[in-house]
This record gives sequence, structure tokens and C-alpha cells, in this order.
Amino acid sequence: MVHHLVEYRGERMPTSTDLLQGTLDLLILQTLALEPRHGWGIAQRIQQVSKDVLQIGQGSLYPALYRLEYKGWIKSEWGNSDNNRRAKFYRLTAAGRKQLQCEVETWDRLASAIGLVLGRTVEASR
Amino acid sequence: MMIEFLTRLRFLIFRKKRSEMDDELRFHLDQLIAANASAGLSASEARRRALIEFGGVEQTREQCRRQRPGWWAGLVTQDIRYAVRGIFAHRWFSAAIVSTLALGIGLNTMVFTLVNAVLLKPVPVPNGNRLVSVMERSLTRDDQSLPFSYPDFQDYRSQASSFEFFEATTNDAGVLSEPGNPPQRYQIDRATAGIFSMIQAQAFLGRVFLPSDERPGAAPVIVIGYRVWQERYAGLPNIIGRQVHIDGQSATIIGVMPKDFRFPHGVDLWMPLVPTADLAKRDNRPLQGYAILKPGITLKEAGAELDGIAARLASQFPTDKGLGASVLTFSQRFNGGPIRMAFLLMLAAVGFVLLIACADVANMMLSRSLNRQREMSIRTALGASRWRIVRQLLVESVSLSTLGGFLGLGLATGGIHWFDLSTASIRPDWIHFTMNFTVFGYFAALCIFSGLLFGIAPALRSTEPNLLDALKDGAHSVIRHRGVWLSSVLVVFQFALTVVLLTGAAIFVRSLLDRLAVNPFIPADQVTTARLQLPEDRYKDEDARVHFFDRLLLRLRAIPGVTHAAIASGAPGFGATNEQIELEHLPVANPSKRPWISFVAQSPGYFDTIHLALLEGRDFNEIDGSANHEAAVLTRDAAARFWPGQNPIGKHFRFFDTKNKPTPWITVIGISANMVQELQANDPKPLLFIPYRQEGWNNMALVVESAPDPLQSMRKTVQSLDSDLPLSEALRLRDAIERSLWFVRVFGRVFLAFAIIAMLMASLGIYAVIAHATGRRTQEIGVRIALGATMRNILLLVMRRGLWQIGVGLIFGLGGAIPLSRVMDSLPLGGLQSAPAVFFGVALTLAFVGVFACWLPAQRAAGLDPVKAIRYQ
Repeated sequence: MVHHLVEYRGERMPTSTDLLQGTLDLLILQTLALEPRHGWGIAQRIQQVSKDVLQIGQGSLYPALYRLEYKGWIKSEWGNSDNNRRAKFYRLTAAGRKQLQCEVETWDRLASAIGLVLGRTVEASR
Repeated sequence: MMIEFLTRLRFLIFRKKRSEMDDELRFHLDQLIAANASAGLSASEARRRALIEFGGVEQTREQCRRQRPGWWAGLVTQDIRYAVRGIFAHRWFSAAIVSTLALGIGLNTMVFTLVNAVLLKPVPVPNGNRLVSVMERSLTRDDQSLPFSYPDFQDYRSQASSFEFFEATTNDAGVLSEPGNPPQRYQIDRATAGIFSMIQAQAFLGRVFLPSDERPGAAPVIVIGYRVWQERYAGLPNIIGRQVHIDGQSATIIGVMPKDFRFPHGVDLWMPLVPTADLAKRDNRPLQGYAILKPGITLKEAGAELDGIAARLASQFPTDKGLGASVLTFSQRFNGGPIRMAFLLMLAAVGFVLLIACADVANMMLSRSLNRQREMSIRTALGASRWRIVRQLLVESVSLSTLGGFLGLGLATGGIHWFDLSTASIRPDWIHFTMNFTVFGYFAALCIFSGLLFGIAPALRSTEPNLLDALKDGAHSVIRHRGVWLSSVLVVFQFALTVVLLTGAAIFVRSLLDRLAVNPFIPADQVTTARLQLPEDRYKDEDARVHFFDRLLLRLRAIPGVTHAAIASGAPGFGATNEQIELEHLPVANPSKRPWISFVAQSPGYFDTIHLALLEGRDFNEIDGSANHEAAVLTRDAAARFWPGQNPIGKHFRFFDTKNKPTPWITVIGISANMVQELQANDPKPLLFIPYRQEGWNNMALVVESAPDPLQSMRKTVQSLDSDLPLSEALRLRDAIERSLWFVRVFGRVFLAFAIIAMLMASLGIYAVIAHATGRRTQEIGVRIALGATMRNILLLVMRRGLWQIGVGLIFGLGGAIPLSRVMDSLPLGGLQSAPAVFFGVALTLAFVGVFACWLPAQRAAGLDPVKAIRYQ
């Protein structure tokens, strides 16, 4: 566990656990950017897109959804699912959209930085 | 940003419904089952796998709940709900605790309100937090409050940059008179024109000063106070423009100030300070300064700047040598010394009362914590952590102390009102005994702090893990032994604090009784005193004054009912003049080594008027005091001090004035009995008397002995000689003494009340502890009685511990009381001769009360029926 903060161009980056949590938030926000979905749909979508690499259990999915909703980035409302059952749909708010953009940028910078450190850029371009 | 904040706020207030969360999770599970089923599994298998994959729901629920902002607040409300239920379940127990704490917290809030008003709060005028008092101070002596001269003031004002306003005023008394209205003496300030605008004061009627009013040659004007307007002029609406005389000089009334406006303090009349030749002298120092600091300038910075100016003045003018400037707040300037000390002592005293109250409550909680073991072990068994239980117990004790606090707030309001009334006649008018936010902050801190203070030990004890094991084994003795130790310490502590408090109160009471009993030979109910000041412009020299007093005395003695009349520089018990002397046979070259005495100047007949016995020699006659007939009468103590073992009659001594110039030699002509002339002084100087002719002062006290009240006739007599002379401070001597003792009376009452409350609480504490311990030992006592223990055995058995605690408490308490009596020496309580007697009396009283508190449960135990006691459960 990394307890100290990683400095990145003067910005403070969160510790490893926060990093994972932040990543999950990013994935959820990205998934909701296209259309409103219910919890199950979000998990399925992420699993699908990541070709079964990222599987999200309800134990981390729902706390994350509640957290994002409490922060005002997503909004929930009851609606009907494909098989016509009552389900809670989550939708990105304007604040959430801004947050998503911000997090994507951070992620890109971080990913390219880690890539640089690992010396992967050269291989990738080859 | 705003939306985010509002969202959070919404969720802080409205909770999500639990059923919503469940519905959502169920939907997720159903989807999982459906997915499994569509992969070809049988319905039951699909469900089984889905449930395995899905995992525990409870943890998710908990996790989701904790995402809510402020989710922990729910736990606190839960604790509070539980605490309130506990408080109401044990109604009597809680009532005892709450009322004890109400006393403790109420008294503390009350005294803090007073201390805050006297020592901390700014003066209640606009910009009062920047209002300061400016005076000069001595660089060589410890004197912070010297008035300054008009030229000095002008230099300060023109050179200083720290002040937004800087005004100065004299502080005198003057006589207001006009045809057809008897003359009256008032407090009159001659102030620079800006004194009102500095604090944005407006006149109630007419106007305040204009800058033109203080120019030399301006028409003399006067602004009168509301009280003067009401009492002297019965609130006449057309008062503006009336011509009056101030000390014989005419002036026009231009304004009436609003009710209760007496700035800077206690002023009745204001006149502009018009520069005169006299004022222009640098060694004439009548002024005190008041200023408003510029925003952001501190007291210290202003003081440093003025000190710099003072240093320049000192180097320029010899008369300003050794003087610095002193910039202080009103509280620092006017409430220093004994007042500050008395209020801080009061705060310390109620602090002690609160500690005693907390110790009482802690003891009650300790005894109950033994009875609550069962509840605690059940809660622990159900999975509550130790921290959780401790927290819950602390919330309970803080809830109790808060309840007590609010009850105490009512008590405090009453106490403040009483104190306000008791000090109304003597306290400066800018002090308002009211609560403000500082007081409420202090109050809140007290509630929480005392709750934690008495709660923490019982809470930790009742959750001690090994204690629970001990309980399971039924090993009562172990617990009891350890609980006893803590509660013994608390009782000892209570008794020690009570000794200190009682000593403080006893010193006050002793001083009051001592001083009410001084000079028993004076018939204080028959003697009336009043002060009279002869204005200097009409009574220019000593001859004129002495001539007036001689004529006045003859007429006073002719009033029907008057048995004796005399004049003296100070009524008996009301202060004397201090001077250094030199004895003829003992010349002292070094001025600072000369002995100090205090003296009263008086007319012939004064000794008869106050019934002071002449032991040797004779009273003054009409010639004593004139040139070459300088004479003095010494009290017996003064005679024994300066001429020990000799007959002092016919011996000589002389005074030295402030410029170190000796007077002619004075002959001792008589010796009187001793009397106390300075009630307030802690170390009175040797007292002697001289004839009033010798000094020729213009401000004297009339002392008249008469069974019927002679005041009206006295006034008429004075005004038959001079119609513009008012009498002031006219009172029966008994009332005057009572009034002068307000300090001891008010603070004595306050401290006595605190000490009695403390003593009751401490006795209640020891009673409860012993009674509880005895209750737990009922079976044992029954067995002992059955086996033949005598009543004495049982009394000793029960009381031994209490007696031991009282003894140790008294010893520690006396250890604290001795330093306290030293601190109290600086209060104006009069020299107290009998400190050891006070200590002894206090210790004896407290020991008696404490032993009685132990004896009550002990004699009940001794009277137990052994058969019932053994069956007692």
C-alpha cells in the first residue's frame, strides 16, 4: 500500500486505494455518458467493453453509485427495464459531465506518464 | 459548485429510503439469475450460483449508507436518544445530578458574566472596543494613572497619529446654583469640545458642544445630565437657554444629555474646557484623556508612540521629567487592584464549587456504575466495542450536564440581577452586568467540559474488561476495593476545596464584623456628618475659612436638640491625611526614612462629639493652631510608638510637605484613647489630631451629635451664612459606615453563599458514599450484629473510612487556605488580626458537619435488625 502522495506536475495524486476507487468512478461516469442505465446494465456494459477483464460486483458498484449520486454527478430515477421490470436508472448530470471530462484528462496524463516510466512508449510506437 | 453543494445539503436533510436500496439490489440479483438461466442452467441452479456470486447484501447496505454525507450524525442522535431514555428511566437519580450541576454551572455562568463585564467587555458606546483611557505614568514609582497638563495634552494630540479622536477632561465637583433654587453639588467635567462627538453622543434636548464653545472668550455654556434635568428642574421642557451659576460663574444651559449618559463616568454636568492662564501652566495637571484608536492600532502601539512623545517632552521641560504615557482600556484603568482581585477570587471560588459538584456527581455515577454492570455486559456481548459504550456513557453525562446547565442559566440570571442591584450605587455606570456571546460560549464549554469531567472516570471504570470477568466469577470484593479508592480520593478532594472556600468566606465575614464593631464609643445612631466645601474665589485665604467655620460652629451648636457639634477633616472611620514627620529628639536626614503618620484636623469639641476619651493633657482651645501655638493630640498607640515609656506631653515634632519643607515645631498637648480612622486600610498608620486652624482647609466634614435628625436645620444654618453652599454626603454615621462597607458586605455575602453551597455538597457527597457503601454491606453488618458486635463497633466500622477522609481533606485544605489568606491581604479588608482563629473555626465547623454526615448512615446501620439484614438482598 502506498501511503504517501504521488506528486504529479504539482498536483497531488491520491494514494493507491483512492486511485482504484477513482478509477471505478471514472468507468461508471464514462459508461453513463452515452445513455442512462441501471446498476446491472452498468456492470454488464463495463464487463462487455473490457472483454470480461473488468468484472464489478454489487459490493463495490452500489456504494460507488451512491457516492456519485451524493456528490451530485449522477441522478437516479425509477423506470422500466427491457424486460419491463421496475429498475432504478442512473443518468449523468451536467456537473457529472464536467467531472468526467476532468477525470479523463487526468487519467490520460497519468497513463502516459506511467507508460513513460515503464519505457513502453517506444515499443507501442514500433 | 452551487448545485453540488445543494445536492449534498439535500441528502444531508433527506435520507434515502431503505426499501429503495433493497429493490435495487433485488433487481440486480434477478437479472443475474436470469442471465444464468439464459446460459442454460436449471432454474434452481441458476438461482444458487447467482446467490453465491452475489455475496452478502448487508455489507453493501452498510457501505451504501456510509456514502451519505454526515452519516455518522445518526450515531450521535442514537446515542442522545439512548441517553435521554436513560435519564428519564432513573428519574430521581438524574434529578439529583441535574440539580447539583445546575448549582455548579449556574454559579459559574453568573460569576463569569460579572467578570466579563468588569474585566473584559468593552465600554457600551459606539466604537467602544477602540475606546481607551490615556493618562501619564510615573517611570520611577508604580503609578499608572497620573493626570496631565493642558500643554502636555496639546502636544500629545498634535503629535500622536494612533488616535482617531483624542479628548481630555477634568474631573471635579462643582456647585450649581441660581436664584430661587438651593445650591447643589454635582460632578462636573470640563472637557474639550469633541468629547461627545468622539462617541457619537447626541443631546436629548438642545445641542452638545461646538468647537467654537472652547475658544477663549466664548460665551460660557453648560450641558446637563438627564438626572439633573429631572431632579433639579423637574424635566422642564424650556430648560435650554436658562442662566445658571457654576461655582459662582454664570453659564447658559445649551443641552440635556439622554438618560443614563454619564460619560466618561458618573458625570452630571459638562462644560467646555476653555484655556486660561492657569491651564497653560505645565505643572498644573488636571486632565484625563480619552481616545478612540485608529482601526488596526493596538493598545501597545499607541502606548509606545505616546511614550516617545512623553520622552521628548521630558527632555524639553523639567516638570515632565520621569513621566511616561499610559494607554489602557477602561477595565484596565478603573477596575484594577482589589476589584480585579475580588472578581478573580470569585471566579476561582465558583470554579471550586463546580469541581466539588462534579466530584459529587462522579461519585454518584460510580456507585451506579456498579449497578449497571449487567447492562454493560449485555451490550458488550451484543458486539458493542468498548469505545462505543464509553462514548455512549459520555454522551449521557454531557446530556445530564447540559440539562443542569440550562437550569443553572435561570439561577445565573437571578444572581446577576441581585448583584446588579447590590452594586448599583457604587459601580461605574459603564459596567453593564449582562450576558453576551462570550458568556454563552463559556457556558457551552462548561456544560460539555463538566460532563466529560465527571463522566470519564465512571465510564472507563464500568467498561473495564477485566471487571466484567470479575463479575462473572461473582468476586464482589475486588470491584468494591477499587471503586472505594477512587471515591475516597474524590471525597478528600471535596473537603480540601471546601476548607479553602470556607476560609475565604470566613475572612470576609470576620472583616465585616470587625469593622462594624470599630469605635464602639461613638453613638453612631446619634451622630450626623456632612461635607462642606468653601469655594476658593469667595474664601480666598485661611483666615476667611477659619472665620466662616467659627461662626458656623456657634450656630450649629445653637440648633435645638444638638448636644455637640464640631468640624473635622474626616468623619470618624472615613480616612485621614498621611504625612511624614520628624521628632525633635530623633532627626532623620534621609526623607524616605521619616516615619509616616495619619492625622485629622479638627475644631475644639470634636472629642466630645464623638465621645473619644482624653486620657492625658487637654483638648484644643480657640488659640491652638494659630501661629506659634501649633499643637497636636496623639492617640495612645501613636504616643507609645514615638515616645515609648515617656510622657509625650510638651514634646515637639514637625511635618514635612511634599516639597520636603518642614512646618514649624508642633507641641503635643494631650493623649486620647485609640480609634480607627481608616476602615479600608490594611496597615493603618499612627493617628494624631491637630487643630483646624493649623491647616485652614476649605473642604471639611461637619460632625453633629443630636438625637432628632438635624440635617434640615444644618442645611438652613449653613445657607443662612452663605446661600450658595450645599451640603454633600449628608448621612447618619451608622448609615455612612454601612455604605462604606459595601465591598466587604457584597463580596462577603457572595463568598459565604459559595462556601455554604460547597459545604453542603461536600457533606452530601460523603453521606452518599458512606450510605451506599453501608447499603452494600448490609448482610455483613447483620452477621456482625448477630455475632455480638456492639453499637459502637458498628458505628466505628461504618464511620472509620469517612473520618479518615475528612481528616486528610482538612489537612490538604488548610495547606491551600494559608496561601489564600496571603492573597486576600491585598484586598481592602482592614488589618485582620485573627487569621489562626479563622482557620481553626473553619476546620472545626467542617469537621463537625462532615462527621454528622457520616454518622447518619452509621447510626442507621447500627440500628439494623440482624435477621432482616442477613436476608437483605
